[in-house]
Amino acid sequence: MNLRCRFPPVVAGVVIGISMLLTFVTAGRGIGVSGTMTRLVATVQHWIYPELTEKSAYFGHYFAHGAHPLDNYLSYLMVGLLAGALVGSLSCGDFRLTVQRGPRISASSRLFLALIGGAITGFAARLARGCTSGQGLVGGAELSVGSWAFLLCIFIGGFGTAWFVRKQWI
Amino acid sequence: MDIVAPLVKTGLISEALNQWLAVPIGFIFGFGLYHAGFTDSRKIAQAFYLKDVGVPVVMFSAIVTGMLGLWILSLAGFIDTSKMYYLPTYLTPMAIGGVLFGIGMAIGGFCPGTAAASIATGRIDAMVFVLGFLGGSILFGDLFPVWGDFYNSDYHGVYRLDELFGVNLGLVIFFIVIAAVGGSLLMRWGQHLFWSTPPDQTMQPEQVLKYEAPLVGVALLIGFGLAFVPSAYFFGGSGEAEYYIIPKQQGPGPVRKRQRGPAVVVPPATAPAGTMLPAEGDEGC
Repeated sequence: MNLRCRFPPVVAGVVIGISMLLTFVTAGRGIGVSGTMTRLVATVQHWIYPELTEKSAYFGHYFAHGAHPLDNYLSYLMVGLLAGALVGSLSCGDFRLTVQRGPRISASSRLFLALIGGAITGFAARLARGCTSGQGLVGGAELSVGSWAFLLCIFIGGFGTAWFVRKQWI
Repeated sequence: MDIVAPLVKTGLISEALNQWLAVPIGFIFGFGLYHAGFTDSRKIAQAFYLKDVGVPVVMFSAIVTGMLGLWILSLAGFIDTSKMYYLPTYLTPMAIGGVLFGIGMAIGGFCPGTAAASIATGRIDAMVFVLGFLGGSILFGDLFPVWGDFYNSDYHGVYRLDELFGVNLGLVIFFIVIAAVGGSLLMRWGQHLFWSTPPDQTMQPEQVLKYEAPLVGVALLIGFGLAFVPSAYFFGGSGEAEYYIIPKQQGPGPVRKRQRGPAVVVPPATAPAGTMLPAEGDEGC
């Protein structure tokens, strides 16, 4: 096993858990990713429809008092996340512009399904107030009932869907 | 031990330094995601076929690490949990969101964090996934009045598992450690049962065991120790912090909720340190 490039699952989990613990200790909050993406999309929409976005019931508060949506803790975290994954892949010679897909699916079908899956996940993350990291891992550590329900339901949804998209993956 | 954390809430570090510290913390997060193999959509999706159960094992380990760390530091009086931002529970929207999220993950092969990390490794399917994710987010935000009421329904405030089951907080921690270890072993057994050849040939079970067993042992020991600690000790020994006594299931919720108004009219995120920041509360992630 090449331990430099692939950690055993529990070891990798402990590394991710430590990053979460560090945000608890320094910031009093948790890690998160989807928040940055929502703020990014709000920023883009604000370029095109400034008034509409500022009056939006959901995106509006990002712009309250002239604030910039991306001037946020999670954006800094995202910069570090991208750098960490980039350094990891470069040091392992694994940086490649490629489409990851199962053996029985074409690249274009895979990309189409990635787009559809991304859209469903994006909607779901907003509805659940967070994604796997911000709602699942952080709320899981905080023993939040909602987060544990979210985690459980991810696996219900995932296992329930797996059979229908099996051609894509196995 | 004197309370020193959360560092930014106790004034030991400035707001600006706190934000800059997020960069190295994010680096560890991204580095961990890469080394977990989470930048590969196939590996993530294969979890739903029990073909590679690394994903849930990593998730369980991360939760257990963060959980033990948080509550031990709280027990030691190092971190003031009443100054932390806790995720509130909106049970039905979160459950429905979870089901949809799982469906999206099985189709798309990523969740947001892993997709972002995968983009940094050059993967095109991750870029397309994030495009879709941004589309889904903007759809939710722009048509918010359609599902706004549902989004804010079934509110329970900060609602922990120990309150749900009416048992010691430490006992819940111990149970989660047990469930994580047991669940991981069970899923590995399932993977072995259904798929004769493991997809990741580079992982030798003996080596994996050598690195994982001590960590699992330590977690079980700590969890066992915490199981006998009275709940109040986790909150500075003086009973629960005021923050925790928010009554639950009282219609639209306590004061915090009413601030938010009928259609999420949220006060600016410049509230004084130590109070809840509803702007954060609306994303959590």
